[in-house]
Amino acid sequence: MDFRPLNDLERRQLINALRGNAESDRAILMNRRDTGFAGAADEVPEEEVINAIRSVPCHY
Amino acid sequence: MWQALKRTADRLLDSVNRSLQRPQRRFPTAARVPSASRVPYGPLRRVLVTDGVAHTLFEEYASHRSAARGEEETGWVLLGLRDTEEAVVLATLPAGAEADSGVAHVRFNSEAQALAYRVVRQRDRRLTIVGVVHTHPGSLRHPSDGDYNGDSGWVAGLRGGEGVFGIGTADGPDASASLFAQQPRPNVQCLGDLRFSWYALGGGESDYRPLQLELTIGPDLARPLHPLWPTLEAHAKRIDRLYRQLTGVRFEAMCDEGGPGLMLTLPLADGGEAVCVLVRQKEVRYRVVRGGEPLAVDVNDDYVDRGVYQLLAELAGREDG
Repeated sequence: MDFRPLNDLERRQLINALRGNAESDRAILMNRRDTGFAGAADEVPEEEVINAIRSVPCHY
Repeated sequence: MWQALKRTADRLLDSVNRSLQRPQRRFPTAARVPSASRVPYGPLRRVLVTDGVAHTLFEEYASHRSAARGEEETGWVLLGLRDTEEAVVLATLPAGAEADSGVAHVRFNSEAQALAYRVVRQRDRRLTIVGVVHTHPGSLRHPSDGDYNGDSGWVAGLRGGEGVFGIGTADGPDASASLFAQQPRPNVQCLGDLRFSWYALGGGESDYRPLQLELTIGPDLARPLHPLWPTLEAHAKRIDRLYRQLTGVRFEAMCDEGGPGLMLTLPLADGGEAVCVLVRQKEVRYRVVRGGEPLAVDVNDDYVDRGVYQLLAELAGREDG
């Protein structure tokens, strides 16, 4: 069993993913082979899309 | 003594200077730290359309043309995934019967489309808007100048600053050979006399450019919602308000002997309990689920948000009692 501290990039990504999970219910991805942290799902903010839908211009 | 005092002052000054020059420790925020999986967007090189979406476009375009308002323009918002150099189209949101349309323009009913997006997003939170398809009654297979005036600014709000645009026309090569679709050009797909021509437009570009179309096997994630579009159009504003005010609202498209409907499930504070609301175009039915058993509730209110709050107030009053 290998224990090692996270490097700076991994730590920042994990903190970011935990924050996204807590604040926005954003999924945290897990490596299927070793259950390690595999980043966060690349979700698109809901209101970003809603705004784009509501601003679709008239087409001619 | 004077020199000792001077050394102490120098040390203090040095300490202050180092403190000021030290990089400030800041807790990273979501806005400052980029996601590991963020896509580096480049110019779109192709659009990948699922067979489910292609079926929807051709079937509903044919259906529209045979309807009373068949001469008017119609269209769909396209939902999907935006990858580095391609967009994958996975869902269509129709313009709606309440769209503002005529023979030379169409403005979608965005209230129903926004609600439908919230429903479809439950399946995959990566879904975004990738573009728009609309039809031309004549044979103009290219977006018009008027389209460009609106689209050129609108695409700035899309992922990658670029959008996919399809133009539907009814001037395909041979109306009799409709057994299967053909692709006479990389950006064109024809089925019978119906034709869809595909383009991309990025912010700052002076014109649309033909976009290679490829088909893959997959669903139209929003197709189960299309039969209940009149319901969405009738109740979209109130359901959307409810969704934004309450936490954990879930949607499900369903169909029973009463026809298609949208089921809203609102979890209550006690685990396993929920308020369920079946919404149809001209009917709203309320249920409370307790211990896995649905209990019919007589709330005579077709305004779904007002009915839910009346029901929640009644439940709260009973808790106090």
